[in-house]
Order: sequence, then structure tokens, then C-alpha cells
Amino acid sequence: MNTQRTDSMWLDEHHTISLDELIELSGLSIKDLQNLLESGVLIPNNRAEAIWHFNSHYLVSIRALSRLKQDFELEPNAFALTLVFLERIRSLEFELHTLAQLKH
Amino acid sequence: MKYKDYYQALGVKPTATLDEIKKAYRKLAHQYHPDVSKDPKGEEKFKEVAEAYSTLKDPEKRAAYDELGHYPAGQEFRPPPNWGSQSAGQGFAGGNAQGFSFDDIDLSDLFASFSGDQQQAQRTATAGQDYELSTDISLEDAHAGSTVELNFTVQEQGQPGQGQVKRVPHTFKTRIPKGVTNGQKLLLRGKGGKGFNGGRDGNLYLTINFIPHRLFRVKDHDLLIDLPISPWEAALGATIKVPTLTGAVNLKIPASTSSGQKLRIAKRGLPKKNEEFGDLFAITQIVLPPKLSEQEQALLKQLSEISTFDPRPNFE
Repeated sequence: MNTQRTDSMWLDEHHTISLDELIELSGLSIKDLQNLLESGVLIPNNRAEAIWHFNSHYLVSIRALSRLKQDFELEPNAFALTLVFLERIRSLEFELHTLAQLKH
Repeated sequence: MKYKDYYQALGVKPTATLDEIKKAYRKLAHQYHPDVSKDPKGEEKFKEVAEAYSTLKDPEKRAAYDELGHYPAGQEFRPPPNWGSQSAGQGFAGGNAQGFSFDDIDLSDLFASFSGDQQQAQRTATAGQDYELSTDISLEDAHAGSTVELNFTVQEQGQPGQGQVKRVPHTFKTRIPKGVTNGQKLLLRGKGGKGFNGGRDGNLYLTINFIPHRLFRVKDHDLLIDLPISPWEAALGATIKVPTLTGAVNLKIPASTSSGQKLRIAKRGLPKKNEEFGDLFAITQIVLPPKLSEQEQALLKQLSEISTFDPRPNFE
């Protein structure tokens, strides 16, 4: 058994991920990500700079989007809208999770 | 090898057209897809449905599947001699089903390494599979940082030419860094399934869940604790020993404290990522003894007679 130390990446609102990493890790193509960027549902933190970075939490929703695209053969029009709903669900689930912890 | 009835999994007849198979798959995918369904068994059911669909939507794989014959679901069986050679050219990835042990093989693995897919896979670099796991840790471990052992099964490609996909146990320890919050997701690169033909190894997505604590509740990096106090401690003020994750501290309760007041104990919450700490909030709850003694009752009656305090002025 090997022991891995600190090479984990935080997936949250406080850490960033590059566009290349998003492509590599999400399973989506550049074209798919361009579609999301053009639709305004995926927003880089540093739009004015040459190399874009995104909050790493996007990776969670975009991986789900990638699975849904593959398993449901999503059309391009439904694609960006699905990410909006996934992000909204992620945010609501986080709030529910926090409230549940406070209530126990 | 156990037989799986793919037609039954999709709820279609063996004579179903491709269109009927697609419609059945979509209906079941809406019902059971793990990103859509809240059914706790949804993921398991969707895997069965997706496995059946991936074989039946491909004419070559479907023909090879039909060539296996039909058995009751779950029954042990062996493919017929030279199985696959009629339906899919090279057929079975081993080239010939004869003399091969099928005892430890899953039917899905057989089709994953089948025919054209296999020839293609032998040439193409393929990334290893990603996995998602969750692990539960105590608040004490979240505070101090901890190491957890992860055990799961990954798919690995067999020897070149054999093409069999094996399921192998994958066990390793990983450090949970200080600063995690409840529900935090971490990416462990390269800790998923092995890549094939020079493809990168898959990744592991780990969700950290906090085990509910008997005393503390969590709000981001802050902790909350209910602090029961007696009516006289609330009225007169007191110094009370309050537990924290790093040992008890003395907390001064000011005189005239009401129920539900939050008293902040700075930096006794969970660590943040920037070396700072959240706070601990003690929430006062005035509690009475289950039964008052005669002397207590007499003193309280005396108090009620001399006090002019109105706790409900807003009711007037």
C-alpha cells in the first residue's frame, strides 16, 4: 500500500483550475467548453488575461454535464442550460447540507 | 460466467428494433441516471441499463450476444465453441473462446474487450477510468488533519493480446488536509483506474463528509454548541467550563443572559486553508431542574412577588 501525501486539489470556490485542466479532467471537448463560454454560463475569473482560470468547483458540475451529454445525447441548445441547472442544484444541495448539520 | 439478460434489463423483446431499444434506454436513463435520480439504488440500476444498451445498440455486439443463447438471468454458462467468430470477424478478444477460462469474467468485461473495440483499443492511448468515493471523518480529524485509507475496485486491462478487463482491488492512504469543510470535494490525480497504451491514469474524486458530533454542529469553519445554563447562572452571570475540540476553556456568562444568545469563543472552530481558524459559538439555553425543591420553590415565589420584570412587553 502506498501513502499519498498532499497532491490533492481542492474543488471549491477558493481554488482555480486552468482551461487546459478543465478540458483534460472533464471529458468535454474544446468545442463543448467554447459553447459554455459563449453562452455565458461558464465564466473565467480573469477574463481580461490571456490564460483563463476558473473556480475549481466548476469541475464537479462539468463532469456531471459530460456524463449527461454522453448518456442522454444532449443537444447543443440543452447543453448550456443543463450546466445552469447543475450549478443551481449544487448550490442548493450545499445549503441543505449546511442546514442539516446545524439541525442535528 | 453469469448470464445477464440485456433485453430484460431494458424491458424489451429480443426482436426489438434499434429504435425501440433507444426509447427504452432513454426512459430508464431518466428514471435511474445517478445525476438525475434520487433513488438510492439508481446508480446500480443505471449501470445495468447502460451495460445492456452499450451492447444492444451496437449491431455486431448484439449479434454476438444473441449467439450466446438465452439462459435465466444469473445462471452460470459458457459461450459456445468459436463464439463470436460468425458475428464479429475476430470476435472474442482472445481470438478463440475455446480453452479459455470464463470463470472469473463478467459478461460486460467480455463485451468491453470485444472485436473492433479491442483492435482499436490496442492502438489507442486510453485514459484510465475516473472514480468517485466519499469518506467520513470526525470533527477531531478535520481539525487536526488526518490520513484515511481508501479501498475500492478498479478496472485494469489484462495482458496484451488477451484483452480481458480485470477488476483489481485498489488500496492506498491519502492525507486529508486541514481546512476541509463538510461536503468538500478533493481531486486526487492519477488515483483512479490505470490508463491503457500510454494513456493517463484516471482520477479519484473524493467527497469528505463529517460524522455528526455529539456536542458540536458545523457551519462552514465555525462550530456551534448548545450551552445549558441554570436560571441563576443566567441571571447573576457565571464562569462556565465549555468543551472545545482542543480542550475545555472557561467562558464568562454575563449577568442577565437570556436563552438563545450566542457567545463567541474566538479561534476555537475548524482550521481554514489560510492558517486561520473559525470560531466556536456557545448558544445559551436556560434549563430548569426537573423538580424544584421546596426551598427553591419558595425562593422563586419570593422573587416573583418582588420583581416587576415583564418578559412580554410586546404582547401589550
